Amino acid sequence: MPILLTPAHVLATVNGAALALGRHISVVLMALMVVVILVQVFFRYVMGNALPWPDEAARFMMLWLTGLIAPTAYRRGGFVAIDMVLLMLPRALGAIISMLLLVIALVVLVVAVQIGWSEVTGFGGRFKTAALWIPTDLAFTEWFRVPRSWMMASLFVGVTMMASVTVELIIRQIITLLGHGDALPVIPESATIGSE
Amino acid sequence: MLVWFLPLFLLFLMVGLPVFFGLLAAPGILLWLNGQEKDITLLYRNVYNGMDSFPLMAIPFFMLAGEMMNRGGITRRLVEFSQACVGHFKGGLAQVNILSSMLFAGLSGSAVADTSALGSMLIPAMEKEGYTRKFAAAVTAASSVIGPIIPPSGIMIIYAYVMGESVAALFLAGIVPGILVGIGLMSVTRYLAGSSDFPTSRPRASWGEKGQASLKAFFPLLTPVIILGGILIGVMTPTEASAVAVFYAFLVSIFILREMTLKDLPDVLTKAALTSSVVLLLVGAAMAFKTVVSLSHAPETLAAFILSLSENPLILLLLINLLLFIVGMFLDAGPAIIILGPILGPIFVDLGVHPVHFAIIMSVNLTVGLATPPMGLVLFVASSVSGEKVESIARAILPFLAVEIFVIFLITYVPAISLFVPTYFGFIN
Repeated sequence: MPILLTPAHVLATVNGAALALGRHISVVLMALMVVVILVQVFFRYVMGNALPWPDEAARFMMLWLTGLIAPTAYRRGGFVAIDMVLLMLPRALGAIISMLLLVIALVVLVVAVQIGWSEVTGFGGRFKTAALWIPTDLAFTEWFRVPRSWMMASLFVGVTMMASVTVELIIRQIITLLGHGDALPVIPESATIGSE
Repeated sequence: MLVWFLPLFLLFLMVGLPVFFGLLAAPGILLWLNGQEKDITLLYRNVYNGMDSFPLMAIPFFMLAGEMMNRGGITRRLVEFSQACVGHFKGGLAQVNILSSMLFAGLSGSAVADTSALGSMLIPAMEKEGYTRKFAAAVTAASSVIGPIIPPSGIMIIYAYVMGESVAALFLAGIVPGILVGIGLMSVTRYLAGSSDFPTSRPRASWGEKGQASLKAFFPLLTPVIILGGILIGVMTPTEASAVAVFYAFLVSIFILREMTLKDLPDVLTKAALTSSVVLLLVGAAMAFKTVVSLSHAPETLAAFILSLSENPLILLLLINLLLFIVGMFLDAGPAIIILGPILGPIFVDLGVHPVHFAIIMSVNLTVGLATPPMGLVLFVASSVSGEKVESIARAILPFLAVEIFVIFLITYVPAISLFVPTYFGFIN
C-alpha cells in the first residue's frame, strides 16, 4: 500500500498547490471582469466612445477563470451528478462503479488534453485576437497583438488540471477500496454546484 | 448508429457520471465507433466556442451580485420589510417567508441561495413561534423556486443562450408566472392557517414601522429596478446590466448596509467563480452535445414519436409537462434545460407554441422540480439548513407542490401569462 500512498500524497500536494494558485488568479480575474465591463458601459454611455477591447478582454478573463477554478470544483465533488443509484448499491459494487466512472472521466480528459494541445499549437491558434494588444516596453510605444492561442490555452489548462485531479481521485479510490482510506490526505468537500 | 448517444448518455447519467463528462463521453464514444474521429475535435471546439460568449457572462455577474447582497445583510432587511407588510396575517411568518422569497428573487436568480439565506434565518424563527420545523422547511423550499422564475434568473440565461432566445424576453416573461407562484403559495398558507393550528398573528405594523422597514429595504429593492430598467430602456445589455448590478451590490453591501467588509471580498469572489466555472463548463459541453444531437437526427426521430402520440398540441403539452416533471424529480433544472431544450424546443415551436412560451413552461416546470422528491435540490438544502429529514419535508411540501403544479398548468394553457409583459415592452412580436 505505501507504493500507492506516496503518489497519492505527491499528487495531493501538487494538485492542492496548483489549484490554490488557480483559485487566487480566478478571484482577481472575476473582479477584473466586472471592472472591464463597467469601463465599457462608462465609455459608451458617459464618454460617448465605445472601446473596442472590453468585450474580448472580459471573455478572455471568463475563459481563464473557468479553466483555472473548475478543477477545484471538480476535486471537491461539486460537479452535477445523479448519485442516487450509486448510494443504493452495496458499498463494494458502488465503489467499483465509481472507479469505472473515474476512468471514463479520465479517458474524456486525456482525449481533451490531446485535442486541446493540437488546437493551441495548431492553425487556429495562430490567428490574432480581434482587439487585444499588450505593451512590450515600459514607454508603451511597442505593442504586441495577443494571439488566439493564449485564449484557447484556458480550456487546455483546465482539462489538464482536471486530468491530474482524476488520476489523484483514481489512486484515492483504489486505496479506499483496499481499506486504507484513513491514511489519505483530506480533500475539502463542497456541495454540488449549479445555476439553480 | 449515432442516435444511440442519447440512451448511452442516460445510462451514464443514471449510474452517476457527472453530467459534464456524460455530455462529452456518450457522443464521443459513438463518433469514435462510427469512424468519425475528426468530429471528436469538433466536439472539443464546440465546448470552447460554447463558453466563449458575451451574453453568458451575465451568469458569473448575477451569481456575484447575489452572493454580495447575501453577505451584505440584505436578507434581514427583506425579511423585516415582508414582516411589516404581511406579518399580521394568520400564519404570518410563513407568509413573510414567501414574500421574502419573491423579493429575494428580484436580486438573485438562485433557489439554492434563497433556501439557504432565508431558511437559516426564518426556519428557527418560525420554530420559535410554534410552527413545526418540517412545515417551516417546506415553506422555505417551496417558495425558493420563485428565485429562478422572477428575473434575474441563471437558468433563463442558460435557456436563452442554448436556444438562441432573447434573455430580456425570457426575464420579462418570468415576472407574472413568478408572482403567480407566490400568490398561489400565500393562498395555500392562508387556507392551511384557517384549518390548522397555526400561531396567532402578530399585531399589524404601524405606518411608522412600515416606513422604517421600507427605508431599510429601499436600496436592496432598487436592484431589480436597475437591472430590468437598464435592459428595458435599451441602455444596457443583460450582461452589462449584471455587471452594473455587481457594482451596485458592492456599494450597497459595503457602504450602506455595512455588514460586508473588503476582507469578505475574496471569499465572495471565490464562491461566485466556483459556481460560474461549473455552469460555464456545463453550458460549453451542452453546446457540443447539441451539435451531435443535430448530426444524429435524434430530434426528427423523437418528433415523429411524439407526434405519433397525438397531433393535438394541448395534449402534447400535457405529456411534455409530465415528462419534464418526472425529469425534474431526478435532474437539476440547468442540466435538464441544457439536455432537453435543443431536443424538445424545436418540436413544439413547429407545432405553433411560441418559443418564449415554451421556454417559460420548461423553466417553471423544471424549477418546481427542484422542490420535488426524491432528488429535489432545494429539499436537500432545506434539510441541511433545518436539520429536518428530507422525507418529512417532502411530505409537508405536498400542498405547496399541488399549487405549483396548478400554476404550471395555467402557464401552459394561458400563453398570455408569459407573453403579455414581453409583448407589451416590444421584446416579442
